[in-house]
Amino acid sequence: MPERRASLRDRVALWAIVAVTVTVSFFPVVWLALTSFKPAADIYAWPVVFWPSPFTLENYLTIIRESRELLRYIANSFIVATATTALILAAGGLAAYSLTRLAYRGRGVVLIAMLAVAMFPPIALLPSLFDGFLRLGLLNTYTAIVLGHTGLYLPTAIWILASFYRTIPMELEEAARIDGASTLRIFWSIILPLSTPGLIATGLIVFIMSWNEFPLALVLGSSDAMRTAPVGISLFPGEFSFPWDIISAATVLAVLPVVILSAVFQHFIIGGLTAGASKS
Amino acid sequence: MRRTHRAGVLLLLPAVAVVLAILVLPVLQTLLLSVARNTTSVLQAFDFAGLANYERLFMTPRFRTAIANTLVFAGVTVPLELVFGIVLALLLNRNLPGRWLVRMAILLPWALPTALNALMWRWMFNTEFGLFNALLQGAGLIEQRINWIGGIPIAMASMMAVSVWKTSSFVALLLLAGLQAIPREVYEAAEVDGANAWSRFWTITLPLLRPAILVALLLRTMDALRAFELPFNLTDGGPLTSTETLSLYAYRVIFQYVNFNLGAAAMVVQFAIIMVVALLYIVTLRRDPYA
Repeated sequence: MPERRASLRDRVALWAIVAVTVTVSFFPVVWLALTSFKPAADIYAWPVVFWPSPFTLENYLTIIRESRELLRYIANSFIVATATTALILAAGGLAAYSLTRLAYRGRGVVLIAMLAVAMFPPIALLPSLFDGFLRLGLLNTYTAIVLGHTGLYLPTAIWILASFYRTIPMELEEAARIDGASTLRIFWSIILPLSTPGLIATGLIVFIMSWNEFPLALVLGSSDAMRTAPVGISLFPGEFSFPWDIISAATVLAVLPVVILSAVFQHFIIGGLTAGASKS
Repeated sequence: MRRTHRAGVLLLLPAVAVVLAILVLPVLQTLLLSVARNTTSVLQAFDFAGLANYERLFMTPRFRTAIANTLVFAGVTVPLELVFGIVLALLLNRNLPGRWLVRMAILLPWALPTALNALMWRWMFNTEFGLFNALLQGAGLIEQRINWIGGIPIAMASMMAVSVWKTSSFVALLLLAGLQAIPREVYEAAEVDGANAWSRFWTITLPLLRPAILVALLLRTMDALRAFELPFNLTDGGPLTSTETLSLYAYRVIFQYVNFNLGAAAMVVQFAIIMVVALLYIVTLRRDPYA
C-alpha cells in the first residue's frame, strides 16, 4: 500500500486504532493478573474492586502452601510439551526433508495424506487411544500423553517444515551429492544448519500447541499426578464454588510460559504460522 | 536415484509410523466401533450392529440439539472471525506505530490455551463479581446484573463472543501472508487510474486474497466444528444442553455414560460433517481463477 507522509490527524487516528486493538486483545489477561494480586475479600466484592489494594501475593503463596499440586500440573506441562517438541522435530524434520528434497514415487500422496489426517477431530481418536493405552498399561503416563500429542501435531509440523525446506536452493545439495556426500551427511551438514529458523519456528508452535492441548491430556492423563496445567486447573475442585483467588494465580502461572514465548519469539512464530498455511 | 529412494522412505518411516498409530488406526477403529455393540475394542470383540447406533443416535433429541448447536456456533463465529480478521490484517499491513505491540496483540489470543481462556472469560462473565457487569453498570447501561452464561440463548452468544475474540487474530495472521504477496505495483496502477481506497479494496485486495481467505475459512470452520474445551470450561454445555457441541456430547456418551459404540457413531457423524465442509471449500479453491 502506498505510504505518504502521515498528517497529524492520520497519526492520531492510527494510534487510536492501535490503542483499541491492544486493549481488546490484552484485557482478559490483564484482568486475570489483577484478580490474582487481590486479597480474596476484594475478588468477591460488589461494587467490583478494579485495582488490587493492597497488592498481595497471598494467592500465589496459598498455592505454594496448600495447593502444590497446581505447580505439579505446570511441571507436567513442561515435561509433556518439551518431549513432544523434541520427538516432532526429530521425526518431522526427517520426514519433511524426505518429502521435499528426495525424489521417489508417492511422496506427493504422502504429503497430501498428512494434510488430510491433520483434519481429524481429536475427539474421534479418544476411544481407541484410551482403550489402547489402557491395555498397554500406559494410561496416566507421560508416554501416553506425549505420543498422543506427537501424533496429533506431527502432520501440521511436517507441513510447516516442508515450506521452509523448499526455500533452500537445490543446487547446494546437488553439488554436495556430486562430491560424494551421503543423504544423511547432506541432511546433517547442509540442510539442518540452513533450516534452523524453520526448526525454531516449528518447535515453538508445537510447544505452544502441546502446552495448550486439552482433550487428549484430559483422557490420557486424568489421574491427579499426571494432569497437565490446562486439565488440572480446569478440574480443580472448589468446596462451594470455583476458588477464583487460587485459580486466577494458577492460571497466570500456566499462561506465563506461552505469553513469554510469544513475546520473545514473535517473529519466528508468526513466520511459521503463515508459512505453513500459505503453502497449503 | 535408487539410493535416494530408499533413504527417502527410511527417513519418512518414523513419522508415518506415529501418524498411523495415533491418528489413522484410531479413526478406523472409531468407524468400526460405531457399527458394533457392547465393545470398547474391535480386536477384542466385534458384534456387528449394522446402523443400530446411528438410528438410536438420530432418535435422541439431545444429539440433534448438539448437531444444531455445533452448526450454529460455526455458522455464526466463522463469518464474524473472517470480517474481523480482514480488518485486522489490513491494519497490520500498514506502517502502524507500535508495531511490536500490535503484533503481540495479534499473537496473544492465539497463544493462550483455549481451556484456560474459557476460564478467564467465565470469571469475567460472573454475574455477581464479574468485570462485564461492573463495567456496564458503572457506565449506567444496565440496571440488573446479567447472567451471561446462565440463560438461553445468551450463553451461546457469550460462547461465540469468546471464540471470535480468541481466533479472529489467527485469521488475520493467515490473511496477512496473502496481503503481503500482492505486488505494490497493482495498487499504484489502480491509484493512477483514479480508484479510491474503497474500490481498490473490492477490486484488487479481496479477489487476490481469495485463496488465503479460503484457507483461513477451511481451517477455522474445521476447528469451530470440533469445539470442545470452550463449552467444557465456559458453560459445561448448559444451561440444559443449549451450548453442548457434538464433541462435548460424544465425549460424555463415551466417558460418562461409558457407551463407546454410541459415542463413536456421534464422532463419525461429526467427522462426516467436517469432511463435507472441507471438500466444499477445496472444490471452491480448485475452481479459483486466481489460485
